[in-house]
Amino acid sequence: MVKPRHRRTAAIIGVGHTDWVGDWVRTRAGEKPADSVGYAARAFRNALHDAGIARDQIDGLIVGPTTPYERMGELLGLNVRWGGQADAVQSVTQACMAIEAGFAEVIVLVYGNNQRSGGTQYGGPNAMGGGAYLSYVYHAPWGLTSQGGLYALMMRRYQSERGFAERDLGEVAVAQRGWASLNPDAIMRKPITIEDYVASPYVCEPLRMLDYCLINDGGVALVIAEAGRARTLSQRPVFIEAIGRSDLNRNATSLAPRLLDLYLPAQQEAASASFEGAGIGPQDIDVVQIYDSFSVHVPLALEGYGYCALGEAGRLLREKGIGPGGQLPTNTAGGHLSESYMQGWSHQIEAVRQLRGECGPRQVPDCRFVHYSSDVAGKAMSIIYGR
Amino acid sequence: MGLYDGPFWRSVSERRLSLQCCRGCGAFRYPPGPICPECLSEDSDWQPVSGKGEILSWVVFHRHYLPAYKPPYNVIAVRLDEGPLFMSNLEGVAPEGDWIGRRVELVYATMPDGFVLPRFVLAN
Repeated sequence: MVKPRHRRTAAIIGVGHTDWVGDWVRTRAGEKPADSVGYAARAFRNALHDAGIARDQIDGLIVGPTTPYERMGELLGLNVRWGGQADAVQSVTQACMAIEAGFAEVIVLVYGNNQRSGGTQYGGPNAMGGGAYLSYVYHAPWGLTSQGGLYALMMRRYQSERGFAERDLGEVAVAQRGWASLNPDAIMRKPITIEDYVASPYVCEPLRMLDYCLINDGGVALVIAEAGRARTLSQRPVFIEAIGRSDLNRNATSLAPRLLDLYLPAQQEAASASFEGAGIGPQDIDVVQIYDSFSVHVPLALEGYGYCALGEAGRLLREKGIGPGGQLPTNTAGGHLSESYMQGWSHQIEAVRQLRGECGPRQVPDCRFVHYSSDVAGKAMSIIYGR
Repeated sequence: MGLYDGPFWRSVSERRLSLQCCRGCGAFRYPPGPICPECLSEDSDWQPVSGKGEILSWVVFHRHYLPAYKPPYNVIAVRLDEGPLFMSNLEGVAPEGDWIGRRVELVYATMPDGFVLPRFVLAN
């Protein structure tokens, strides 16, 4: 099999985001601080400033799924020679591919979402994503539409298959809140305990309120440049070491990849592609970033991407720990559970900031490698970042 | 309802649950669609299924998402003996403990608006 060639061919040279905390307060008060393109534009300005480059250096644009491409480019004043639209992890991948192919040299990735003030529904009769993922809406006649419902089914199956205890899932929410308490950009900063977790109400049993992400308004932007170009700039580059991907599409609507496979074959394949590509293993990772629309992603990823044996995630969470002071720092900004639900985008900028050493009280010492993984709807993606 | 779902719901209203079945390789498929994912044949018909299966997973909703479903209510994932996975509800008793693996069988529930829904009960 031909191996991907993109090792260290591109680097992130700028990151930016919007005022999640301030906009959370404003949207809760009924205000609409911006629309989706507005949030993306604010994040873009911040990322451009962080990169220390002029706007006319940009020759590629990728927009997230929630903003229209042409309008976004129009507002940012960007005429480019290459463009696209994708979710967080695929945007990073596509930027690397475009740079590798010579289509562009400095690409900006922008994401904006007014999901809170706009009233986006992730459950119920108007649940998002029905066009993209039939499983999100197909089972509506039986009362199953929400994303949480699908992950709750997966969690119950996981408990039974690998002996994961319901109480251990609380370790994820507690650890991530611990990180969030050290992050001024996190929305939920008040520390919680396992007892708080157990006392939090079920939304879709066995998942509780504290297992769900925080839906809120905001934006994120990244600037990715060809590696040689990145080395000539003032900002410290963070390199994309390697990327792996594996998709389970067969029988996806009837939930077989979730319930029969627990996404494991995809996670393992994506893990080996990315770790082999980077020439390192899970033992070399200093910070783990895991897409966490729901807490259950975390133990599944810890097992699937090789941080512990199958069935050992509960012990890892309890004994080694993934929170501040733990042996495997994970979702160090608080993640989607406690920082802000930015659909995988915020994990990328936290990876960059940890590798630059900019994270203040939550900084993981001498951070050399960060691993990001996601497994949205059985599409397992794995990115290794290095400095 | 999608373009291929009509025969499924007709079979339910006739209380004779049928799934699309490939004429090329005999594989059942759910949800129905234009082509067989196993052998890529477009040739299919509809075959009644036994309505027997086992619980693969289950959840209880505690939040009100849909007008017809007041919480708490359960959703179960059933693996039919014919192969496909089927999302539905358990009637009669609420699932509890480790009911994964318990045998279930099909019943037809009539909703308040007259709509007939395939659901399951624990097998004797």
